[in-house]
Amino acid sequence: MPFKIYVCVKHVPDSAANITILDKTRIEEKITFIINPFDENAIEEAVQLRSKVGDAEVVAVTIGKPAAVETLRSAMAMGADRGIHVVTGDPPDSIATARALKAAILADGAPDIIFTGKGSIDSEGFQTMFRLGAALGVPAANNVASFRLEGRTATVESELEAGGRAVIRMPLPCVIGAGKALNKPRYPILPDIMKARKKPIRTVPMESLDIGTPPASVQLIELRPFSDRRQAKLIPGPVEKAVEELVRLLREEAKVI
Amino acid sequence: MNKKYDAIIIGAGVIGCPIAYELAKMGYKTLNVDKNSDAGLGSTAATCAIIRAHYSTEDGVAMAYEGMKYWKDWENYLGGVKDEKGLAKFMNTGSILLKSKGHDWRKVKKNYDAVGVQYEDWSVERVVKAAPVYDLHEHWPVRRPEDSEFWNESTGMLEGALYCPEGGYVNDPVLSTHNMMRATQAHGGEFLFNVEVVAVRSEANQVKGITLKDGSQFDAPVVVNVAGPHSFKINQMAKGVWEGCNIKTKALRHEVMHCPSPEGYNYYGDGYHTSDADLGIYYRPEVGNMFLIGSEDPKCDPKVYPDPDDFYAGKGGAGEDNQLSEAQWKAQCYRLGRRVPTLRVPNQPRGVVDLYDCSDDWIPIYDKSDMKGFYMAIGTSGNQYKNAPVVGAMMAELIDACQKGLDHDANPFQYKLKYLPRSFNVGFFSRKREINTNSSFSVNG
Repeated sequence: MPFKIYVCVKHVPDSAANITILDKTRIEEKITFIINPFDENAIEEAVQLRSKVGDAEVVAVTIGKPAAVETLRSAMAMGADRGIHVVTGDPPDSIATARALKAAILADGAPDIIFTGKGSIDSEGFQTMFRLGAALGVPAANNVASFRLEGRTATVESELEAGGRAVIRMPLPCVIGAGKALNKPRYPILPDIMKARKKPIRTVPMESLDIGTPPASVQLIELRPFSDRRQAKLIPGPVEKAVEELVRLLREEAKVI
Repeated sequence: MNKKYDAIIIGAGVIGCPIAYELAKMGYKTLNVDKNSDAGLGSTAATCAIIRAHYSTEDGVAMAYEGMKYWKDWENYLGGVKDEKGLAKFMNTGSILLKSKGHDWRKVKKNYDAVGVQYEDWSVERVVKAAPVYDLHEHWPVRRPEDSEFWNESTGMLEGALYCPEGGYVNDPVLSTHNMMRATQAHGGEFLFNVEVVAVRSEANQVKGITLKDGSQFDAPVVVNVAGPHSFKINQMAKGVWEGCNIKTKALRHEVMHCPSPEGYNYYGDGYHTSDADLGIYYRPEVGNMFLIGSEDPKCDPKVYPDPDDFYAGKGGAGEDNQLSEAQWKAQCYRLGRRVPTLRVPNQPRGVVDLYDCSDDWIPIYDKSDMKGFYMAIGTSGNQYKNAPVVGAMMAELIDACQKGLDHDANPFQYKLKYLPRSFNVGFFSRKREINTNSSFSVNG
């Protein structure tokens, strides 16, 4: 039996896209969609693990509208062997998503390990990977910055908000939420993209999966634009002073450094 | 009393600035007005700033080759002016024009010979020696990745290339425009930013001046439309001008992609600007060891002509707004992936989207108009950055001659080039011309 690596990926709007809200709860989808950037780290780690393990298979799984197949192709161009597409209409909440991922994965095989991004850049709920671990009854660690597998034990470092790292040891199977620091995702080259076009994708209608009746659910009431317009700020003066001011703004106002 | 100038130039981009510079040097008191906050921040900011000599007409080649001489002599051209931001730099990578069915390179070669452009005739092996990451299989005709035939294996090979060692690109087009603004100011030229022209005033078919959105008015006996993608709107503001043009302009949406160079290959340091009509693209090195990939507007690609105001406001959605579209990202990157199979293609698009001020035949209009005193340097169609300093001098002389009584429509002005020993019939760029069927009808001009 090959070692089975599942990677859960999400089809999300490009962060550079102009987002237009329709009817309060939907966005205009005539924009560019991409594979969720954190899921690229998940794919990269899975592909590296496959080459270390040897007899292993990487299966990308997504839940989404028919267009989400593009994200599976991206995952396969990066090295996933095949894909599973759970086709749905409106996006399910993280509770239903975790249950559907579990059902789709178990219907396919017995996972040895599951990778996914630490969160998605569209809903930013940071829920799904924990819920998937809970649904499967396996441990989960998020925002993972390093990963090592010895036998059936995974040792990960999980980045904490305060700047520290927690070292966590987990038996397989487990769920790993990849953070940006985990690796540098590869960029596919055209021959990889061509190969990915021929890799198999299994399509599963969402309603065909037995996900039971979740005890709770989340309902989206309203989407509001975070800001209507990005406002550029010009920092005048000589370069040295302007750089100092920029550093101060980044530190004190934007709080990004 | 309205403030008075000798000439008002609408636009402070890469064409508007050199026109002002040359007029100011001739003693004209000039004013450039622009919607943006500084020089070169409109569509100039998105140009690939390619400096190449290959054009489909002999005059086109001559003008581009003349322009190349200016870029190589940039400091002198600016009259030694100081710019606190530094000077733009001409990056002399050399320019490869791949011989393919997509480009009438024999015509280019004939034009090169006629003008005296330095070039070398390269075999496939010579191209690969210069650019080892290139795979010179033939892929003509250009297709989109949505077309299953795009993915077919190629069986033929290209024939080689024409190599022009003097070609390249300018590292910072905005800075180059800023340089020209500083040079203009050194001759007394004025600039007004963050303003929008709402009216071109005239009396008895003589231009009188412009009115801005805030109501302020400026008067001049000469007004020059260099408004880039907004050029058709400005022409429509001047009574009878738009109607008097046989060739019209409109704003064409255009995407340029940034893709990282193949692993282990220093494209930024060792690469060439390349025109690749076999795949409908051109590419040049960019900072960060990137390939910058432009499109040669192949027939199979959609042409989108948005309203420039809507476009810059981010309206219209994918393929129409000011963000890269997934479909075009794939089209341009995958096309280059055919030529450079080791090219790495990120999942998230990166690049710029802007507008060409596109004319009916992709050749600009450098001309007077049916209104006295109203001139235009428009329809640059994505292929005139390299010519900007030449256009500045040519337009200034044309304007001066017409103001002194020349009937340019009846006796077209002959512009004497400064570097090359030849003159140029400016009537070639007339608004009254019929569509020039010699044009490539693409960014190649």
